[in-house]
Amino acid sequence: MTATATATVRVAGVRRWVRRTRSAHRERGETLGNFYFAVLFVVIVGGMLHRQLTAIFWPGTPNASELAGGSLTLLITGGLYLALRRLGPLGLSRPAASWLLTAPVSRRRLLLPSLWLATIGAAIAGALGGFAIVGHVAARPVPGPAEALLPLIGALLGGGLLLIALGAQADRWWSAWSDNAAYLVIAVGLAGLVVDSAWAAPRAPTGWPAGAVVTTAAAALALVVTTLFLLAVRRLARTPNERILEASKTAGTLLDSAFGIEPSFVTEMVERRYWARRRLRSRRLWARVPVLVAQDLLLLRRRPRRLIWLAGATTLPALLTHAPGWTLGAAVLIGGLAAGGTTAATVRTDAGNPVLLRLLGLSSREAITQRLWVPGVLAGLWYAATLTLLHGLGDLPAGPWWALGLALGPVGAAATLRKARTGFVDNSLLPLDTPMGAFSTGPALSAVAGVDILLLGLPTVVQIAQGTPLTWTGVVVQGAVAVIGARAYLSGTTATDRVELR
Amino acid sequence: MDHSAHSAIEVRGLSVSYGSTPVLVDVALTVPVGAGVCVTGENGIGKSTLLRCIASLQRADAGEIEVFGGPPGSTPEFWRAVVTTVEPPTWYPGLTTREHAELVCRAHGQDPVDAGIDEALERFGIASHADAIPPSMSSGQKQRLTLALALLRPSRLLILDEPEQRLDPEGRASVAALLHAYLADGGTVLMASHDDAFAAAAGCTMISMADLHAIDAR
Repeated sequence: MTATATATVRVAGVRRWVRRTRSAHRERGETLGNFYFAVLFVVIVGGMLHRQLTAIFWPGTPNASELAGGSLTLLITGGLYLALRRLGPLGLSRPAASWLLTAPVSRRRLLLPSLWLATIGAAIAGALGGFAIVGHVAARPVPGPAEALLPLIGALLGGGLLLIALGAQADRWWSAWSDNAAYLVIAVGLAGLVVDSAWAAPRAPTGWPAGAVVTTAAAALALVVTTLFLLAVRRLARTPNERILEASKTAGTLLDSAFGIEPSFVTEMVERRYWARRRLRSRRLWARVPVLVAQDLLLLRRRPRRLIWLAGATTLPALLTHAPGWTLGAAVLIGGLAAGGTTAATVRTDAGNPVLLRLLGLSSREAITQRLWVPGVLAGLWYAATLTLLHGLGDLPAGPWWALGLALGPVGAAATLRKARTGFVDNSLLPLDTPMGAFSTGPALSAVAGVDILLLGLPTVVQIAQGTPLTWTGVVVQGAVAVIGARAYLSGTTATDRVELR
Repeated sequence: MDHSAHSAIEVRGLSVSYGSTPVLVDVALTVPVGAGVCVTGENGIGKSTLLRCIASLQRADAGEIEVFGGPPGSTPEFWRAVVTTVEPPTWYPGLTTREHAELVCRAHGQDPVDAGIDEALERFGIASHADAIPPSMSSGQKQRLTLALALLRPSRLLILDEPEQRLDPEGRASVAALLHAYLADGGTVLMASHDDAFAAAAGCTMISMADLHAIDAR
């Protein structure tokens, strides 16, 4: 061992050596086989879903107003930015992060391929968004420059967002500020869609968008993005190590989650990072309520932003007022899962490992009874606000819809807890053979866990689908089904002589 | 659970294998109520396996185990009497160190102030981390918090796996003194340890795994 400095080596050479060594362990033709299967997969899935893809990106006739088009642009912009921020956007594979980031190689050359990959990915996402907006909004025939240039503007916007996200990756203040701005953009976009749905905004005139506007916007964006890209390449080496490591862990967890069909990896990572960033101050647990209710209330108090989003989300079912009644009813019911899930992380912790429940000495019956309260109240209030809003917008007939919402609270609570207690996907279950190939039952069962309990809200779905005025009898029937169902869930899945939740 | 039983723990003919490798063969152990016993032995000899079986966290291939006159189980009554640190701990998200301690006290009907949460965190050297979330602490600090929680709540039997691990000399002396006081109050302690001086300071009698008829797992 010598204590001398090592000379800088070329990244390309190291990467070539790694590639050659790895390929030496592979069977001959394996890479070609993987490529063949990837192409086959795209062709088969494309063939199966081409109608749905056409409906999403280029319907036969335009079906959205100019306002909806603008709102969708904001939604895609904010969503793409936040997705890029969550992914890094600049990252390395886990082996490269472990071995090459600490090696004496040029950081810029090491990170440049990742930058290119991320830029191309963001540009493709932006182009698809631009294409879909033209397809939904522009009257037929679509003006030539718009048809070609709007996807290009989307691609440039995607690239620009990536470069802004890259700046945020290197600067904590900028990252917090830009994330908040992106959330605001999404909120404005959602509000625009709700207004469009309630007001039936006018369709875009023939010739929209004007060729001169599109050309000018494309030229200006091209200039800005090129300048930002050159600046980004110049400053690439300054991206902090810990941010690159974080991004590589995110990518690794996403891959693990996708290959293992195990979404809980991602949920756990998001939860851990959220609390790791927070600065907390110890508070006393409220002594007048059972201890786990007090814990859930404390957790609720620490998630004010989630509560604001939940309040905003009460307007989302209004987007489906033109859909069949059962779709609207089902969407309302599913929304309760998001409301109840605000404090579900505590149940996920206990379901995954009952160490703390053993320390607390509580039976599973006591624990789940206490854990049902906060999700129940949250879901009940969310359902009440949503149904009252739909009624106020004239999308529901007369009746005490607020009371029906509150009566649905136990359904939301039981569904939330069932979902949180599911734990890891059971991949040991036998797959089902179907004409389209083998179908994994474990992930499917895991996906519907919780949603199945929402069937207790069937009286509400029927009520909305029928479109008849709501009576107090209807409220009482729903309330009775909800309470009996939640009690059956409690007594059927917990015991007074068992601590473990599963 | 038979509260009149004289033995806190009775183990007879316990055998456990991992695949084809036997770890425990015909092991017998008796721990009277109010006694402190420290099982010693080299790594891999089966100390943790024995503790896990007694805490009902692992099923034995053969043998009988009684804790306070009854079979160990997953009932809330069992876990109100027994505390163990055999398993790696998990932590609730969004809850600070102090709030974890308060949660444990309140679940056992204790007033947090009367239970002396702040004094306990001070004694274990983690008072300055009272507002931190446990995952952000070092492994040694997490070990101290686990022990603090175990000793804060009421119990009749402590089953501890190498409690001296990751503690500095001052921390070891402090934990040993607390275990000594726990025994003096009538509690029972069963632990596994590599530190004879720590076990002696805690007031525990040392028993070698070899004397319990375990076989060498190497």
